[in-house]
Amino acid sequence: MQEHVQLTQKEINDDLLAPVLGMPKWWYGAVGFLLLVIFIGLAAYGYELYWGMGVTGLNRPVMWGFYITNFVFWIGISHAGIMISAILRLTQAEWRRPITRAAEVMTLFSLVAALSNIMFHVGRPWRLFWVYPYDFSRGLFMNVRSPFVWDPSAVMTYLIGSSLFVYVALLPDLAVVRDRATGKYAPTVYGILCLGFRGTPRQWKLQGIAGILLSALVLPVFVSVHSIVSWDFAVAIGVEGWHSTIFAPYFIIGAIHSGVSAVAMIMALVVWLYKADRYIRPDHFDAIGRLLIVVSTTWFFFFFLEWVFALYTLESPEIAMRELQVFQNPFWWLFVIFLLTSYFIPVPMWLFKSVRRSPMWMFITTILVNIGMWLERFLIIIPGLARRQPFEFDWGSYTPSLVEILIVCETFAFVSLGMLLFAKVFPLIPIFDMKEGMILRDEIRIGRRTVPASIRETP
Amino acid sequence: MAKRSILGLFTEQQVDDAANAMDALAAAGYGTNEYEVITGTPYPEGTFGEAEPKHKLFRWPLTGAVCGFIIGLVLTAGTQLAYPMVTGGKPILSIPPMAIIMYEGTMLGAIIFAVIGIILESRLPRLFMGAYDKRITEGYIGVTVTTEEDKLEPAEKLLTDAGAGEIKRGWENN
Amino acid sequence: MASHVDVKSHQGHGEGQYVPFTTQEEVVSDLITKHTKVSDKWISGVVAAGLLLLLGVVGFAMRLANGMDDRVVWGYYALMFAFILSTASAAPMIAIAPRIANAHWRRPISRAAELWSAAGLFSLLLFIPMLWILPPLNDGRRSLWFFDPDDPVYSQVPIYTPHIWAALAILGLVIVGFVLLWLSAMPDLALMREHSTGFRQKFAAKLSGNWVGTTGQWNMLHHRMGIIGAFYFMMLIFVHFLVTMDFLIVLVPGWIDALFPITHAANALQAGVATVILSMIFMRQFGGYKEYITLEQFWGLSKLLFALSLLWFWFWFSSFNVFWYGKKPSEQAVLELLMVGPYLISFLAGFVLSFLAPLFVMVWNPVRKSIWGPTIMSVAVLFGVFFDKLRYYVAAYSVPGIGDAHVHKHFMDMDAIPKVHMPGLPDIFIILGVIGGAVFFYLIFARLIPPVSIWEQKELMLYKVHKAYHRTEVFVLGKPR
Repeated sequence: MQEHVQLTQKEINDDLLAPVLGMPKWWYGAVGFLLLVIFIGLAAYGYELYWGMGVTGLNRPVMWGFYITNFVFWIGISHAGIMISAILRLTQAEWRRPITRAAEVMTLFSLVAALSNIMFHVGRPWRLFWVYPYDFSRGLFMNVRSPFVWDPSAVMTYLIGSSLFVYVALLPDLAVVRDRATGKYAPTVYGILCLGFRGTPRQWKLQGIAGILLSALVLPVFVSVHSIVSWDFAVAIGVEGWHSTIFAPYFIIGAIHSGVSAVAMIMALVVWLYKADRYIRPDHFDAIGRLLIVVSTTWFFFFFLEWVFALYTLESPEIAMRELQVFQNPFWWLFVIFLLTSYFIPVPMWLFKSVRRSPMWMFITTILVNIGMWLERFLIIIPGLARRQPFEFDWGSYTPSLVEILIVCETFAFVSLGMLLFAKVFPLIPIFDMKEGMILRDEIRIGRRTVPASIRETP
Repeated sequence: MAKRSILGLFTEQQVDDAANAMDALAAAGYGTNEYEVITGTPYPEGTFGEAEPKHKLFRWPLTGAVCGFIIGLVLTAGTQLAYPMVTGGKPILSIPPMAIIMYEGTMLGAIIFAVIGIILESRLPRLFMGAYDKRITEGYIGVTVTTEEDKLEPAEKLLTDAGAGEIKRGWENN
Repeated sequence: MASHVDVKSHQGHGEGQYVPFTTQEEVVSDLITKHTKVSDKWISGVVAAGLLLLLGVVGFAMRLANGMDDRVVWGYYALMFAFILSTASAAPMIAIAPRIANAHWRRPISRAAELWSAAGLFSLLLFIPMLWILPPLNDGRRSLWFFDPDDPVYSQVPIYTPHIWAALAILGLVIVGFVLLWLSAMPDLALMREHSTGFRQKFAAKLSGNWVGTTGQWNMLHHRMGIIGAFYFMMLIFVHFLVTMDFLIVLVPGWIDALFPITHAANALQAGVATVILSMIFMRQFGGYKEYITLEQFWGLSKLLFALSLLWFWFWFSSFNVFWYGKKPSEQAVLELLMVGPYLISFLAGFVLSFLAPLFVMVWNPVRKSIWGPTIMSVAVLFGVFFDKLRYYVAAYSVPGIGDAHVHKHFMDMDAIPKVHMPGLPDIFIILGVIGGAVFFYLIFARLIPPVSIWEQKELMLYKVHKAYHRTEVFVLGKPR
């Protein structure tokens, strides 16, 4: 990092614990608004539960609509956590320090939001437990050969793995909060949560190992989760545009694209809301911007490959579906918006350093990316289903209902609220990570130039 | 004799003094399991002259992976053999789907056991804090000595001579 | 806590420190001596590789004597062309990627990786016969180029498509590879210009241009290397895309695998890492570079090799699962041809050597953090790559009806699947000859350009400093950019 603000441990404690120990002015208003959106969304869901799935726009042949699009979208966002946290830890990138926890926490809430979409989508959610081997009296267990059974195994593994990862990395910071918290119960509760962490060399060594080991273990899970979600579509042969082998890596790279963009959004929000500009510097935005250029270009290549092979099949149903996507109402303008927002507007902007270093421009461009990536999932799912059968009289269309729109909004509010509440109770920027970064910071003087450097332990 | 612990507090700038204190304790014959440095942030290993902590963490994820693998195998094979029903024209025991769920089980087992291992190898949970000061998390460096009562006073003197600003007694504030 | 460390205060010796001397003059003189001295081992290597290359030429001539119409017998030739594209052409990525990530451990080996661009020249030569082996588009097969003999527009696609596009792509890749090598070598060529004699001196003087080492020249060099490196990566992916599409996938009726170009490229990266690891062990054992190429380099690359071996499985399984689950007859036939039918043993060999062995062996840190662990695994991976490519290329080229417009090209029947095509004597010669040829080109170029980057070693000495840190020793890594 070329710009660096050297701070004492006490200053770091004060700054990063301010949101936990204090109360920002905007907090009640934001939480209130989000709770309102969630309440309205849940009320809409209650309406749907009572009146049935007919209140949505779902019907033959478009059986999957907003909920499944939203499900895949949130699974995608959840991949950011591990991407930023695990991969940057394994490559020892110093710029990861302020953002790992926010990314990991976003993962947790995104996964819960994704799972909730399944609950919203199925007509009889009280039967959802049937994916697990429970209830021997039915004479039937779940179908292990179905991707819908692989899904829960993967998502639950990822959710549990990420939660444990967040918790283990949180232990030293819980110790800090325990030492600074006031009140009757807070110190005891945090003391119990941190399990009595003291900061011995053994504990720090194992923290370091935990970071690397858990990153290495969760990374394969991260790859498998979205691959399995993509196979919900790819293994089916009936729907045009779905039966493609590229879906697993394509969805993963799309997830990284939208997820890392979401992290950049969170970074900007943290800087503005929590005044964390001494910790999240323009250099961090620059680094994530450069990562995004690589990721989005890779994603675009996969998108191009998917299209090329769709046309390569020379199969008329497939080509008809692509024509629907690109030329016919309402999909054509969604397609144009998707292309512009997911790649052709943000990426040329990110080529400019001044854009990359500005929290505001990174916020705007990454919002565009996520709009585009949501539309990408929509365009994969709905047009294929709309033209599913070869006979015209089987073709259908899809219009989302108000219920679906409200519930989708609820998921966004849920993730935002989750992060706000987390930041109220636990420090969102890892305290010990920042302190370690200060200690490992060094400089090398070569002639008149001072080169920033990091201390590394000798192997 | 009951064991008690004391804590010598050094400021953020007194890294070398803390290291000297550790050396003095070693020279005076205190065992490596009797004294320890505690810090609010990880320093490079060996900064205070402490020995490298030995651990057997690798056993945990390995055991967990094996357990998870077996559970995955039993779950997938067992459920399908219990109520066999051919779906999609695929065999009852289809390896690719079973492999997926067994893989997830393996990784989940490895992760859960790894976390348990990390917590236990860190000698946590620790019920009583013993000699501790809240300023440790503000940057102070603590050198604790846990030993029999008659060996405590010489230890106190060694810590003070090395430059400890304050000595806290574990049994007085817990 | 920041502390200022003067650059003169470092020590640079000891295992794993990878700069065995304390002054730049010592490093320069040591590396130049190692480079200019023509050792017996190098001569033996060149002679052995040259003999193998000659054997390959003999094998090629034997095949050529029977013409190119029977594509089945050219399957092994196509296999070896793809093998070189996967190993030698992907090796320069080992120099490019860690450089972009600012990983200092790559410095002693980046030149050794870039030198494999020289074998790219060999791959270009190997490609020329492929232009005749591949039939023109009017045999009715699916293709990337939308050729349709009956359509007034799409029949205008030039009859030399796709040959010309693949040729341009490979030519582009080789040229970019050489530009990268030249840029990276320029400061060292300037050194050689001043420190050598005879042909080497003339060669270095011509290629080093007016390099004197001004700040502007160094900044331009870093900037250009970054851009050309990124460009090389894009060209590599593009070449793999075109070659796998036009020279492999389209030949198997019913094989629609959008992922395969990427699978092929990712497998190439794995093979490239293995190639560089083997180059490293040879440079250590026979080149005298033991003090420069240390455990640190093997550890860094072994982690990459492990990760890429896991990726091998992921890409393979992504394709396999979609085909297996869907049970489409066309895809079942493809799986039968390429995997579980006549080439099952080849598939299993590739599966074990490219994935299972690296997984279970390199999951252990003591194996990754050793010299011989990654080396043995690299040998296994390279054999794995060979067998994996065998089941694709030999199978694809033995599908009946290649070039024959009367044979249906969109769908393959289960009973049309050919039996396994075993290698003949010319094929064995070709296999040995291609490996020998690649090594031959590499060794010749390693004589002209120092195989350990001298300027990057000197740069390392500026940015890597050892110092005492209270009661321990640490090293400080500078990040100038």
